[in-house]
Amino acid sequence: MSKLKIAADLEALRKSVISQRETKSKWVTICTGTGCCAYGAEALADGFEEEVKKLGLSETVGIRRTGCHGFCERGPLVVVESKGHTCYVGAQLKDVPLIVEKTVVGDEAVERLLYLEGETGKRAGTVEDIPFYKHQTRILLKNNALIDASNILDYIAVGGYSALAKALTDMSPVNVLNEVKEANLRGRGGAGFPAGVKWESARKAVDSTKYVIVNADEGDPGAYMDRSLLEGNPHSVLEGLILGAYAIGATQGFIYVRQEYPMAHKHAQKAIDQAREYGLLGKHIFGSSFSFDVKIHRGAGAFVSGESTALINAIEGHVGEPRPKYIHTTEKGLWGKPTCLNNVETWANVPFIINQGAEWFRTMGTESSKGTKIFSLVGKVINTGLVEVPMGMSLRDIIFKIGGGLPKGKSFKAVQTGGPSGGVLPASMLETPVGFDELTKVGSMMGSGGMIVMDQDTCMVDTARYYINFLAHESCGKCIPCREGLRQMLNILNRITAGAGEESDLDLLEELSEFMEMASLCALGQTASNPVRSTIRYFRDEFEAHIRDKRCPAGVCTALIAYEIDPVKCTACGACAKSCAVGAIEKVDAKTYTVDQEKCIKCGSCYSTCPDKWGALVKVPAVPATQSPVVPGAVCEVRSQCKN
Amino acid sequence: MENMTEMAAERPLPGQFDVVVIDDEETFTEGIRQTLEMGGYRAAVAKNGEQGLNLVRSANPGVVLVDLKMPGMNGIEVLGHLSASAPCTVPIMVTGHGTMDSAVESMKVGAFDFLTKPFDPERLLESVRRGMRLNVLRKERESVPEPVAAPALDKNDMLLRGLEVLGEAYSLGLDNRELFDELAYLESEAKYHAESLGQIKKKERAILDIRDDLREVDSILEKYDFEKGALIQVLLDTQEKFNWLPRHVLHWISARLNVTVKEIYTIAGFYEAFSLKPRGRHCVQVCTGTACHVRGASEMLSRVSATLGLEPGQTDEDQQFSLSTVHCLGCCALAPVVQVDKQYYHNPSRNKIEKIIKSLDKEVPENV
Repeated sequence: MSKLKIAADLEALRKSVISQRETKSKWVTICTGTGCCAYGAEALADGFEEEVKKLGLSETVGIRRTGCHGFCERGPLVVVESKGHTCYVGAQLKDVPLIVEKTVVGDEAVERLLYLEGETGKRAGTVEDIPFYKHQTRILLKNNALIDASNILDYIAVGGYSALAKALTDMSPVNVLNEVKEANLRGRGGAGFPAGVKWESARKAVDSTKYVIVNADEGDPGAYMDRSLLEGNPHSVLEGLILGAYAIGATQGFIYVRQEYPMAHKHAQKAIDQAREYGLLGKHIFGSSFSFDVKIHRGAGAFVSGESTALINAIEGHVGEPRPKYIHTTEKGLWGKPTCLNNVETWANVPFIINQGAEWFRTMGTESSKGTKIFSLVGKVINTGLVEVPMGMSLRDIIFKIGGGLPKGKSFKAVQTGGPSGGVLPASMLETPVGFDELTKVGSMMGSGGMIVMDQDTCMVDTARYYINFLAHESCGKCIPCREGLRQMLNILNRITAGAGEESDLDLLEELSEFMEMASLCALGQTASNPVRSTIRYFRDEFEAHIRDKRCPAGVCTALIAYEIDPVKCTACGACAKSCAVGAIEKVDAKTYTVDQEKCIKCGSCYSTCPDKWGALVKVPAVPATQSPVVPGAVCEVRSQCKN
Repeated sequence: MENMTEMAAERPLPGQFDVVVIDDEETFTEGIRQTLEMGGYRAAVAKNGEQGLNLVRSANPGVVLVDLKMPGMNGIEVLGHLSASAPCTVPIMVTGHGTMDSAVESMKVGAFDFLTKPFDPERLLESVRRGMRLNVLRKERESVPEPVAAPALDKNDMLLRGLEVLGEAYSLGLDNRELFDELAYLESEAKYHAESLGQIKKKERAILDIRDDLREVDSILEKYDFEKGALIQVLLDTQEKFNWLPRHVLHWISARLNVTVKEIYTIAGFYEAFSLKPRGRHCVQVCTGTACHVRGASEMLSRVSATLGLEPGQTDEDQQFSLSTVHCLGCCALAPVVQVDKQYYHNPSRNKIEKIIKSLDKEVPENV
């Protein structure tokens, strides 16, 4: 392949790719994102390829493996594109011949594999009919379902790199910068700092060497938007990065990917190689004077390394600890040079803004938050997956319209947004529109887009403990307020969940929170108390139940519950005994089993095994042990001390 | 001295000379000759290999002391001729440059002992005395013809063969108390040598392994142009290659990248991906991300932990399985999720976990 020398070459290539593909009358698209792969999507795709070959349809039917479609709950997802987009959920290898026969050869749908809407009992024939997709505005994620991430031609066919061509031929770097600034694109990584302002500051910094960085160190537990973008559409991120580099005047870029995402690393590397091959990276891109190249740096597993200065330290090969920010990284960042760092999703927005203009971008969203945002809608919600909605949509709409509400008829208790720096919002806050300032106002945060739904069976004290445990482990230990503050907080929360809490604990937690916010060096410490503050703010009664009555209302805190078998309901089927890993369930007589409380490790295996129709296993309040409460997973060590 | 005369009195009288010394260094041969005489042996000296072989042929001594390095025919060559012309004569190699290799080489061509100059007269006499004994034994057995020519033996075979011969000799000497003690001594010595040879072999293997490891590391370092800044990337690749970060590898990286060992250990301790202890061949990772947590990850963890019999962070004794927790695997829709090697499983029951473990247990690991 010869390099694309001028913008017109790209358009010509796009047209030739499209005309080549018109020979295929139908496309079978299989989602091979991480979620679907776990359900066996790769084998399914192989199955389709074989079946099509066997029937001699290879000429007219195309098979495409794409990135994540978002509806991970129902994977593996298969979309047959002909006139409409027939979407099959949960298709298995054995269904392949039937799908090919009915939908690929014929024009019928296989009814039983279509999405079944719970409320109406209707089957959704096409992608657009599925409520999960219907209420979304998929801009960034749209192409994920249309392209094979490992093939640059797929991206070019859907208009990829046209924004870059436009910018390099018709726009000056300042024009590009102004467009992004006018669009009021705010950083999708969490803080929501306006990208345009950051770019401008990096552009104004006087230095011949400047860097741009993609932050793909998606550390928030419960969030996987960046993974999905980088795996499913790496070129869009790359194009955004090149545009940013052009606007700022950077010559070298980095993509910092966490090592836990091997597929994202692989696809990003492939995208870089292909872009280089086509002359979209390297010297004199599109014949302009602009030269730029990109390297990938893998993170080695540290939450704090997602913080901009810590990430810069990591790229330099040091321990990923944050630096003080007396001087902005846009002036002195990587190797002391002006550096502009943005999140994956932020970069992915840039090509759309350049192509369709700031005006268009500003039509979506709220007063202060423009555009769309991808959320990872997970936890106790029926339709788990990635959703992209315009800013300003209410939490209720996202959880109930798109997410389909909560499974098993359970009642909604809270939604957690913003990851470990965010907060927990109760049902009364469901009308809150999603937006940077809107969520901050009610005590949570936009964060990178994690949205974890919790039902009546989730204990809020345990949730707070969970986040503090996470942060205590992930604190780099450099500054004392964060390190010791989290350690103390965790001790207190461990005590409370173990039934040894005291009245004064809540005040102490508040006090610690204030101090940590004031005195910590980086955002990790400054926001670390948010999970505690917001849970106390909205769920004080649960804390009080733990402290005063030594009771866990949700039945989660293991020290405060015990599993027992109701002798009346037990039918002695023995399923629970088989499931027990420690042999704590014994047969008493022909009719009943019993739980040996001494042996029981409270793993809940029996509880979930006991058939719903019997419901013989019950959680009962237990008297907590008075001495040295042991809480599973209660790691109270900072990362610098805890390993090896 | 008293001891020596005693020994001399016992000695057999096989021929004109008991010992022939073949060495080009006159000062040395004279010393040896005197020592031997004092020990009661009749000794003759030859200055080079040819002379020596002639002397042996005519004198038919019990023991020959041969210098390893001589002008003309060297010690090894002399021994080669000797085994053909005087099979009963026991050769002892003497050298000023004792190395493991030369010792092994000498033993291979039939040297009974290997003495490094300068040596203690006692040690020499002891060796000669044992050589004379062997000579007697050989002569006794000479009448019994060897059925087939012994094939060339390697170090291990040699030692095994030696032990075997000793075993045979045992039965011969059982009623002879003195011979019995001597054989027992020889046996223990042979075993000791076998053991040290085994240990040396083991060490040799370990050194070769280390060399291979370091070569691997070099190829990783090369990929990153020996750049200091790429330290974390180098460590990630190394971790992937070895499944942990062995000490010698870290020291090597330190030297190659000119980074202090302290800094490397700080980084290895800071990041989650690195392990300073060997990990199991199969990694069981329980996701404790928020989505998994609210859907019962901690219950799943205790189940997995109890089934495997491992706490998070532990590896079993056979280094087959390691159990660890991870913050988020990024497949929240499958929550709660556990990853075994590259495969993801949604909330496996105890039976399922057992099944997975069993299926992996059977597998022969690739790198072993």
